[in-house]
Amino acid sequence: MFETSAPLVERRQVAREVFVLGFEAPEVAEAALPGQFVNLLLRPGPLLRRPFSVYRAAESRVEIVLRAVGVGTAQLLSLELGDRVSVLGPLGHGFAIDPGWRSLALVSGGLGVAPMPITAAAARRAGVEVIWVHGARTAADLCTEWEGERAAWATDDGSQGSRGSAVAAVPEGVDGVFACGPNPMLAAIAERWPDAQVAVETYMGCGTGVCLGCAVPKRAGGYDRACSEGPVYRAADVDWPALPGHLHYAVGV
Amino acid sequence: MIELEVDLGGLRLKGPVLAASGTFGYGTEVPLLDRSKLAGMVSKGIFLRPRTGTPPARIVETPSGMLNAIGLQGPGVDALIRDYAPLWASWAFPVFVNLNAESIEEYGELTARLDGVPGVAGFEVNISCPNVDQGGMYFGNDPVAAGRVTAAVRRRTKLPVWVKLTPMVTDIGVVARSVEAEGADALCAVNTFVGMSIDLNSRRPRLANRTGGLSGPAIRPLAVHLAHQAARAVRIPVVGVGGIVSAEDALEFLVAGCAAVQVGTATFIDGGAIARVHDGIAAYLASNGFESLEELPRYLPRD
Repeated sequence: MFETSAPLVERRQVAREVFVLGFEAPEVAEAALPGQFVNLLLRPGPLLRRPFSVYRAAESRVEIVLRAVGVGTAQLLSLELGDRVSVLGPLGHGFAIDPGWRSLALVSGGLGVAPMPITAAAARRAGVEVIWVHGARTAADLCTEWEGERAAWATDDGSQGSRGSAVAAVPEGVDGVFACGPNPMLAAIAERWPDAQVAVETYMGCGTGVCLGCAVPKRAGGYDRACSEGPVYRAADVDWPALPGHLHYAVGV
Repeated sequence: MIELEVDLGGLRLKGPVLAASGTFGYGTEVPLLDRSKLAGMVSKGIFLRPRTGTPPARIVETPSGMLNAIGLQGPGVDALIRDYAPLWASWAFPVFVNLNAESIEEYGELTARLDGVPGVAGFEVNISCPNVDQGGMYFGNDPVAAGRVTAAVRRRTKLPVWVKLTPMVTDIGVVARSVEAEGADALCAVNTFVGMSIDLNSRRPRLANRTGGLSGPAIRPLAVHLAHQAARAVRIPVVGVGGIVSAEDALEFLVAGCAAVQVGTATFIDGGAIARVHDGIAAYLASNGFESLEELPRYLPRD
């Protein structure tokens, strides 16, 4: 785990209101594994850090993907190139790729695209064929930045790819399934693939295991910390009805 | 070299900055901290038995603050004695255990279990947790009950006993005097304020527990005032706590009559917050011509 003052070196739009930000943070970039996250601090800015999955980590640069959902994300999107933020990471336990797999489906919904590029790159390096299935509300909302061999799109309105959820568009016969998206989507993944690995989203306090704020209810009882034991879980191990489904961030000033 | 040692009711601390309960785990979790600046820590609150805590959502950020309802999730006293106390015994700073119970008898039993365990330097009696159904704040906002809890702990140990006060009272001085009379060695003022935040999408509370404890800079002026009021009311030392992020914040509590401070929520953002506050206090004293913290003038008109 590293904490570094990192300049913004990249900003590009990848879908309607969705942007990728890149920060120059060599130690974090080198250490980041698929499904791990970074926790960003803005000063001046809101009190707490803001956690983001690592989108890509290459050439000393850590990328995240975000949309303005509250004061922290809005402020991040207003940064100028060269502005610095404190990057703490990499944090959490991510996806575990089984090198024995021939094929792996990456299933994402909306901003659940966040951990997929770094994960796809790692899977390809491990010799695993990647099939990426990504869904969003409409074609304009789809982030289709992708380097993989196979991709399939799904939109709620059918404006690109198949109509309906990404989950329905996953082909049969894949050896592994990794998913990230709204928690109700992950609950649907758990129904179909209990052994899928899913990255959950929770409200988070510290991101380092201290505050116990990011509780993930487990089927076996009790709570895990999304920041430490997670954010990636075996899908069937999460008590989905007890996990808040849709998060609404609003801090105000 | 500025002397930052503190005498806290007979206990010598190497500095004035401690880690607040619930923001430092059991001392093993906080990353990237220079522990040489840490005067001591207070453990996450412990009960006799394990507790699973409250359902999510447990945390919500508010303007300059955060609301939490963790519900004192913890492994229980047996696991604490087995897994953490042996580590603490080798550390260079004292570890206080934050005590929680649902009855006065249980506070005494918990103290007896921990008294004499190597690694346990003293106790912070939590009579102010806003997120448990029984115990916690219900003892803290009744001066008689607060005194009885203090007495129950005091009877079972000769180690330092601190009592952490709730801000949710009409007159904190009354509770402070009651606790002092029953043998507390120091007071910690204050715990979180009870707060509530509503999600207008669902039109329900954002926290599953409905209410939570508000911490962070949002409460600092309130906490400085209450710590000051407590310090005016008693002769025992008061440890100030509530929204400290910087050395200047800590110095406000110290000038307002506190002997030491605890840093809490700031540690969630910056593992090095305690070290920064420690160094900043030394720098302030040096630049104002003081050679030790003891020379810092305190604004403390007595009641």
